[in-house]
Amino acid sequence: MAALGRQVCDWHRLTALSWACLSRRTPHLRERRRMSPSLFCKLTTVCSGESLQESSCVRPKKYVLDPEYSTQLVPCLHGEQRTRVEPKSSELEKVISSLQDMGFDEAHVNSLLSMQPTVHPQQLLDIISEFLLLGLHPEPVFMAMKKSPQLLKLSTVQMKKRSSYLRKLGLGEGKLKSLLHGCPEVFTMRQRDIESVVKVLKEKCLFTVQQITELLHRCPAVFQEDPSKLEYKFQYAYFRMGIKQRDIVRSDFLQYSVTKIKQRHMYLERLGRYQTPDKKGQTQIPNPLLKDILRVSEDEFLARTACSSAEEFEVFKKLLEREEEESESHVSEEEEEDEEEEEL
Amino acid sequence: MTYSVQFGDLWPSIRVSLLSEQKYSALVNNFDAWDNVSAKLEHLGAKDFVKEAISPQELEPESDLSPPPSLNYSPNLRCFTFPRGDISRFPPARLGSLGLMDYYLMDAASLLPVLALGLQPGDTVLDLCAAPGGKTLALLQTGCCRNLAANDLSTSRTGRLQKVLHSYVPQDIREGNQVRVTSWDGRRWGELEGDTYDRVLVDVPCTTDRHSLHEEENNIFQRSRKKERQMLPMLQVQLLAAGLLATKPGGHVVYSTCSLSHLQNEYVVQGAIELLANQYSVKVQVEDLSHFRKLFMDTFSFFPSCQVGELVIPNLMANFGPMYFCKMHRLP
Repeated sequence: MAALGRQVCDWHRLTALSWACLSRRTPHLRERRRMSPSLFCKLTTVCSGESLQESSCVRPKKYVLDPEYSTQLVPCLHGEQRTRVEPKSSELEKVISSLQDMGFDEAHVNSLLSMQPTVHPQQLLDIISEFLLLGLHPEPVFMAMKKSPQLLKLSTVQMKKRSSYLRKLGLGEGKLKSLLHGCPEVFTMRQRDIESVVKVLKEKCLFTVQQITELLHRCPAVFQEDPSKLEYKFQYAYFRMGIKQRDIVRSDFLQYSVTKIKQRHMYLERLGRYQTPDKKGQTQIPNPLLKDILRVSEDEFLARTACSSAEEFEVFKKLLEREEEESESHVSEEEEEDEEEEEL
Repeated sequence: MTYSVQFGDLWPSIRVSLLSEQKYSALVNNFDAWDNVSAKLEHLGAKDFVKEAISPQELEPESDLSPPPSLNYSPNLRCFTFPRGDISRFPPARLGSLGLMDYYLMDAASLLPVLALGLQPGDTVLDLCAAPGGKTLALLQTGCCRNLAANDLSTSRTGRLQKVLHSYVPQDIREGNQVRVTSWDGRRWGELEGDTYDRVLVDVPCTTDRHSLHEEENNIFQRSRKKERQMLPMLQVQLLAAGLLATKPGGHVVYSTCSLSHLQNEYVVQGAIELLANQYSVKVQVEDLSHFRKLFMDTFSFFPSCQVGELVIPNLMANFGPMYFCKMHRLP
C-alpha cells in the first residue's frame, strides 16, 4: 500500500509537470479548443505512459470534480493565489470553460474570477462577452479589467446603453479600444456626467461633431473633467493664447493640466517669446509650436523653446502660484464687498 | 522699447523679471534697536548683504595697501535680503521700542548708489531728487551727515518724504539744522548753492521701467507721452549738471536712475560732463566702480557692458533693479 501511495504522489507530480509541458508545446490549444480539466486528464494519461497504468486504480475524474483540488492544481503551475468562490462548482466550471473558449488563458481566467468576488461568475462572463462583442480581443479586455476591476460590476444593460451612446458620438469599435485603455471610466461613469462634458464641448466651446469625436478619442480623460474647468481651459487657449478649435484638438491641449499650461505659456509670454495674436490673428514674432510648448519634457521646453534655465523657471513657478492665490482671494474679497453693497 | 537690441540674449530674462514680483530688502533703522531688528531678520532666514559683501574683503592679506578710493563705501548700512531664488516676503515694518519703525522695505539695488557715494563722517550731503525718501533715509542711516539737504520738485512727493523721516528719524535730528527739506527746482542748484557739498546724490526722475511695464494708464511709454519721454534725458543732464556744480571741488557725485536705457544713463553722464567742461570749465572724472561691483556680484546681476557706471539688471533669482549708478569726482 505504501508503494501505491508513493506512486500516487508521483503521478500527481507527473500530471502537474505534464500539464506544464503540454501548455508550452500546444499553445494553439489555448485558443479555441475545449480545455476542461477532464480533457487534460486524458491527455496526461496518454503522455505519462507506463507509470500511469499502475495507478489506474486512482480515479482521475474524482479529483477533477473536487473544487479544492482544482484550486490547488493551477497555482502550482502558475503560482497564483486563488480566493474562494461561493457558487456551485459546475457553474464555475462552465464559466471557466466559456472564458477559455473566448481565448483567455488559465492565468487570466483565475485572475478575472478573483478580481470581484462579489460578482457572480455568470454576470462576469456576460459583461466580458459584451466587451468582446465590441470587437475587442481578450488580451486588451483582460488588461482593462485588471486596471479597472469595477468594470466587471457593470450590467449588460448598462454596457449596451453606453456602447450605443459612444457609437453615436462617433466612437465606434476601432476607437473603443483606446478608450478602454485610456479611460475605462468612460463605461462606468454616470450618463449625465458624460452628457454635461459633451454639452460644454458642443455649446460653449463650439467644437464640431467631428472635432468632438476626435477629441474624445485622443484624450478620453476629457470625459472625466469638471465641465466648468474644461470650459476655462478652452477659453484660456482660445482667448489668451489665440488657438482655434482645430489646433486645440490636434495638439491634445485639453489633456494638460491648467497649471502646466499657464506656467509654460505665461513664462514664454513674459520672456517675450509668445504673443497673443491680434484681431487679425497676427503676431510680431513667430510663436513657438504648441507641441514645443506642451508636449515636450520640461528640460526640452527650457532648452529649446524658452531658452532659459531651470532655476529661473522654478522661481517663476513659485511666483506664479503666489500671484494666482492672491488674485483669487482678491476676487472673492471683491465679490464679498459687492454682496455687502447689494444688501444695503 | 528697443531693449532687446541693447541687451541681446539677456533681454528675455530681464523682461520676465520686470513683469514678475519685485524682491524687497529690509534696511535696518539704526535709530531704533538695530541689533534686535537684525537678529529678528536673521531669524526669518534673511542675511545682511552689505555685511556679506564687505567682510570677506576685510580679511584679505593685502591690508597694508590702502584700498583704492572707489572702494570706500558708506558705513553703518545694514540691509537684509532673502537668499537667491527665495521669494519670501518680509512682514510689514513695525514700530520698534523707541517709537520709530524698525526697518524700511526697499529694493536692495537702491542702496548701491548710497553705498557707492562713500560718505565719510562730517560730510555735507545733498540729495537733489530725494522723494519718496528711501535713499535719503539711507544717507541718514550712515550717521555721517553733518548736514543733509533733501530736495524734490514735487510738493506732494516731498510730503511723502517728510512722512518717512517722521517715522524713522528721531525728532532732534529732523528738527535741528541737520536735515533740510525743500521743494525747489533741482536744475537751479548751481546758482543756489554752488561749490557747497562734499557728497551729492542725483537720483533722477526716469521712466521707472519696472512700473511702466505694468501700468496701462498714463504709461510713460505710450504715444501721447512721447515728447515727455524725449525731453527726459535733457532734464536729467540739467539735473546732473546742477548737482555737479553744487559739489565742492574735490567732492563726489553719484548719478542714479531706475531705467535700463542708455539714453537716460551713460549718455546723460557723458552729456553732463561735457556740458560742465564746455560751459563752466569744470573738470569731472568718472570713477571706476568695477571693484565695488565685484563686492556685490553674489547678490545682484550686473550688466557686463556699461561704458560708464554700473547697471543692476533684474533676474528671477535676484529680482532687484533696474538700477543704474555712476560715480564722479569733481576735480579740485
